[in-house]
Amino acid sequence: MVGCRLSGCEGQDGAVTSMDEENLVRRVARGDRGAFDELYRRTSPWLVVRLRRRCADDELVAEVMQETYLAVWRAAAAFAGASVGGSAVGWVWTIAARRLVDALRRRAREAQLPLAVLSATAAPAAEDEVLDAVLGDAMGAALRRLSPDLRQVLQAMVLDGLTVRETAVLLGVPEGTVKTRARRARIALREALS
Amino acid sequence: MRSAEHVPAAVLDRYATGGAGIGADALWAIEAHLEGCAPCRERLGEAVARRSPETVSLLARVHANLTTEMARSRQMPARRLPRRVARWVPPGLWPRLAMTLLVVAAALGLDLAGSRVLPSLVLLVAPVAPLLGVAAVWSVGLDPAHELVVASPRAGFYMVLRRSLAVLVVVMPALTAAGWLTGASPARWLLPCLAFTAGALALGELIGLRVAAGALALAWTAGVITPSILAARTPLLLEPASLPYWAGLIAVIAVALVLRRDAYTGLRSDTWFVR
Repeated sequence: MVGCRLSGCEGQDGAVTSMDEENLVRRVARGDRGAFDELYRRTSPWLVVRLRRRCADDELVAEVMQETYLAVWRAAAAFAGASVGGSAVGWVWTIAARRLVDALRRRAREAQLPLAVLSATAAPAAEDEVLDAVLGDAMGAALRRLSPDLRQVLQAMVLDGLTVRETAVLLGVPEGTVKTRARRARIALREALS
Repeated sequence: MRSAEHVPAAVLDRYATGGAGIGADALWAIEAHLEGCAPCRERLGEAVARRSPETVSLLARVHANLTTEMARSRQMPARRLPRRVARWVPPGLWPRLAMTLLVVAAALGLDLAGSRVLPSLVLLVAPVAPLLGVAAVWSVGLDPAHELVVASPRAGFYMVLRRSLAVLVVVMPALTAAGWLTGASPARWLLPCLAFTAGALALGELIGLRVAAGALALAWTAGVITPSILAARTPLLLEPASLPYWAGLIAVIAVALVLRRDAYTGLRSDTWFVR
């Protein structure tokens, strides 16, 4: 029993690698650095790739990454304390998306920012057809036909879960334009699906 | 969205390097899938390590910075109370409950230390013991979030009763334990205690709960506790013979309480006494 307690540290580190992300965040909330490092190892490549597809400036992405994980470290108790169970990965993305918008807002005063071009003109490759089934043929085709402007707005609002105001900052267009484009995108999708 | 199919390795490689050549619909599917699929995220990590050295160096740099930043910053404290407990008792009530327990403990200490000449202090204090907590149940001055609480859907008479019950749940066992040690049986103080709690709530409907609780406690102290200590005998009000009158009083108070229950909705506008 005493031996167990003495070797408890090693045992916990061994357990960290087999935990899911939700449990890792709960461990982080208790100040566990090992759990934080494991969470970083697992989620940071995914997060950095996803952020870079939305912002071409590597310095800004690094800044957002750092702020996001610092917020994860400091506010893990907020996730762990929530009675409603949610996805820890989704929680991390929510923080990152908001931080990205904040960072863009700060930068917007200084200079115009180059936005990542979201694969506007891409011919579907053979591998992509496997994925078409996920969204459904009609939906996938409708999305492909949508103009890049409208698609960016939909992506920010639907996939990334941003508000109209945040989308406007992310894309660098006025709020009214975001609303108009969202409406046009909805109409286009509805027509394509009907 | 969680799909049974995982992302093909070649697509994952292209996604990892940020290259074009993925259709918009496929991109959506990939990102939605990655958010819910740990094995695919793991494979994406491997793809990044293999194909994109500058991303790896960026991640290492961020991690190094994080290590120094984390050493400097403090973590948010974990929630001290479980949500279920916090729902019953507003934060401002805890110091008052602790104070009440302290008063009961002090009365108990004096009872045990003092001779048997004086009437039991625990018995004398018991009727007004919950008032300290009850005063903070619905009050502008004692609850910083009171205006928000008033505007919440569960606010009102029901919430006042619920919080008062929480106060009684804490105070009653303490009184029972203290009474058991000094020989003041609950039968003698239970009804007066309930009468004062209900009375404070009913009077609070007219003049504000905080003032009502204060006035009742003051009246009991001046009118009963002090004379009893000076005369060194148990007051008639706490003799078993007066219990039926207490019961009748509780019934009258309960009716008054329910009739004017709407007083516990909204903020009080006449504020000459409260601030």
